[in-house]
Amino acid sequence: MDATIFGSDLVRMIIGLIGVIALVSVNALFLIWMERKVAAHIQLRPGPMEVGWHGSIQTIADALKLMGKELITPDDVDKPVYWLAPIVIFLPVLLSFLVIPFAPGLVIRDMNVGVLLILSFAALTVLAILMAGWSSNNKYAVLGSIRSVAQNVAYEIPLLITVMSIILMVGSFSLVDIVKAQEKYWFILLQPLAFILYITCATAETNRAPFDLPEAESELVAGFHTEYSGMRFALFFLAEYTNMFIVSALATVFFLGGWRGPFLPGWAWFFIKVYAMIFLIMWFRWTFPRVRFDQLITFAWKILIPLAFANLLLTAFLMKLF
Amino acid sequence: MLEPLEEKRYVLNLGPQHPATHGVLRVELEMEGEFIVKADPDIGYGHRAHEHMAENRNYLQFLPNMGRVDYLHALAYNQGYCMAVEKLIGLQVPERAEYIRVITSELNRISSHLLWFGAFLMDLGAFTPFLYCFDDRENILDLLDRVTGSRLTYCYYRFGGVPQDIDQEFIDGCRAFVKRLRGRWKDYDNLVTKNIIFIERTKGIGVITKEQCMLYGLTGPMVRGSGIPYDIRKKEPYSAYPQFDFEIPVGENGDTMDRYLVRLREMEQSLRIIEQALDKLPNGPIMAEKVPKRIKPAAGEVYAAVEAARGEFGCYIVSQGDVKPYRIKLRVPSYANLSILPEIAVDTLVADLVAILGSIDVVVPEIDR
Amino acid sequence: MLSDDIRKALGPLNLEKVESGDYSKTGYHLEVAAKPAQMPEVAQAMLAQGCFLESLTALHFREHFTLVYHFAHYDELCRTVVHAMLPIGQKAPTISHIYPGANWYEREVYDLFGVRFTGHPDLRRILLPFDADFHPLLKEFEEIVEESESKANA
Repeated sequence: MDATIFGSDLVRMIIGLIGVIALVSVNALFLIWMERKVAAHIQLRPGPMEVGWHGSIQTIADALKLMGKELITPDDVDKPVYWLAPIVIFLPVLLSFLVIPFAPGLVIRDMNVGVLLILSFAALTVLAILMAGWSSNNKYAVLGSIRSVAQNVAYEIPLLITVMSIILMVGSFSLVDIVKAQEKYWFILLQPLAFILYITCATAETNRAPFDLPEAESELVAGFHTEYSGMRFALFFLAEYTNMFIVSALATVFFLGGWRGPFLPGWAWFFIKVYAMIFLIMWFRWTFPRVRFDQLITFAWKILIPLAFANLLLTAFLMKLF
Repeated sequence: MLEPLEEKRYVLNLGPQHPATHGVLRVELEMEGEFIVKADPDIGYGHRAHEHMAENRNYLQFLPNMGRVDYLHALAYNQGYCMAVEKLIGLQVPERAEYIRVITSELNRISSHLLWFGAFLMDLGAFTPFLYCFDDRENILDLLDRVTGSRLTYCYYRFGGVPQDIDQEFIDGCRAFVKRLRGRWKDYDNLVTKNIIFIERTKGIGVITKEQCMLYGLTGPMVRGSGIPYDIRKKEPYSAYPQFDFEIPVGENGDTMDRYLVRLREMEQSLRIIEQALDKLPNGPIMAEKVPKRIKPAAGEVYAAVEAARGEFGCYIVSQGDVKPYRIKLRVPSYANLSILPEIAVDTLVADLVAILGSIDVVVPEIDR
Repeated sequence: MLSDDIRKALGPLNLEKVESGDYSKTGYHLEVAAKPAQMPEVAQAMLAQGCFLESLTALHFREHFTLVYHFAHYDELCRTVVHAMLPIGQKAPTISHIYPGANWYEREVYDLFGVRFTGHPDLRRILLPFDADFHPLLKEFEEIVEESESKANA
């Protein structure tokens, strides 16, 4: 970073931080409401209707309830780790917002390693899940966290390789540059396979159904967060939904042209695309059964990774050709 | 903090409070990683001593208990018990009553299968089919509510017939429901049966051979999934079933997928039975003429079997010439069906165990009695 | 006819009674009476005929228990009932090595009546809690001498 830490940069940072925290909270509240509504309408029922217009402030009531709940710390948990895990899971998702370009100029910091930053922060989530599962002193939680580690490691590789093919086309790790490069075509048109691979991996990375094995409720009760209650549980929830936002934002940047779109301002287009992506991920969840753990890993190593490599090679070949 | 695992094996308690055990069933699993080395089901958490109650009540007083053994296909249990008592005292049930019994019992069978369908898929992680099924099942509950007066724990049949006749509105409602459910098969097929994840999760999982069926005394969809066409409605015809044309769907491999398909096709056969019964519904009384006020059968014993949604329900009554039965043994299908679990669960993953448990379709209160 | 085959198979076993039953009245095609000690042989013969064990239960009378075995067949309608009189205080041999499905039924009979089966691999209580100190389906004729209970029984 440059030397201008004081001055305009500091102000920019503080405003950014406040903005991000506000965005994260409001976004999570909205997404939980949206998830319930989407699920409800897919399932032929109205969903929450009582609190506010169509249950719109239901999640605020829920959040207040969760804040009022007792924070239960079971006996025999590894207390420092148990307490730290919800915070650790929340930190990387907050940091990822640093580099996301919401609109032209509306990015907290446009770094030339933006993609790498986000992906390496995303990997930190696994650490928090492992901490939560291991410290809970609960067999279901341990199984859930072990699954989570194996799953995230397996799916990070095809995710990275898929993203590599985009970066190869743009020649920059900066998210702003990637959006700028999609002036003529959105990359989803040039890289349809990469888009499908990315969505699959992103669903697995965020532990969403059909890949929600770390918290598979019919097998592992609630997986790694079985023993958490109240606000600690809410933080895991918040992190999950914020993660969903981040992967969808990345999908928007990589494949859907970021803020580009006619008539409406850039930030509006950005959010429309992000929420459309989130809707897609929710749609998956409420349609598919859950895969089995060995199938999940086999799928990653035997199908996704070769496909991602093939796509990368093809991209490189075509880049050289034209 | 967990101690470092010195041994590779550890014990995992699946239940008694666990989302996949459908009631209070506990399975003690000995595991190596995620593989099951040994499974030991622990039942009896919901033991209500129905058989003991039977010995302290007269025959009629025990009738309402039958709706509470297997609450999902309660009418089959009503029927099994009524048939046993009717055999014991030599009572002939009028034809119209038999038809009404068949119609309501088949409706109840469909509602039980629909609930199983939803719950099974929820075990596999698909939440949405559950609510689709409940939407359909709601129709049945409304229909049965109309004639039986309750939505669950039915106590509708009496010794010698049924207490209340069905009306035109019920008949129209049944016909509309048959039509509606027929239109749903395609949705279920597209949403579930053809889903690649579902196929991968169920094919070749929990295979039960014909030999094993015999050794464990399995009945119902469990044996039919393994290719044995054993259905009491055909093999030991009772009530009005011989007068209807229906098939017994069977599977080939005896895996979870086959049991799923068998149940799905069975619902269609039940619809056929209902349709035919409504077409042929005879007029006449719904209650036998001379039903004794005080049931006091001669000494002797009787065994009556009916095909419940989960398999053969047998009612074994021993009378010593008293107003109270000397002993009633309820032969419940899930009891035998679950007893095979320790054998087929070995060397599977926890996720498979959940799928297998779902495909057995246990109703735990029925096992516990 | 399957019932004839079963009669033939049970013939050499010298059972007390092998008679055809009145199906319309009792639901049995074949009524058999045997000694508990003969049950493994009977079960073996029934298995050879392709029958499955439908249910196994017991009746408690003043002088004896009666073990009641129901057998049925998947292909042919033929229900066989076997009554085996067991004097109180004696043990019956298990048939769970022949029909594994009998394992749970025998545990249930043990649980509800206190009848012990010799050779059973895992004779624990099944419906009642493991530390229960009574057998609920015993009739109250007079004082019945109960066997001492221990959780880890043989």
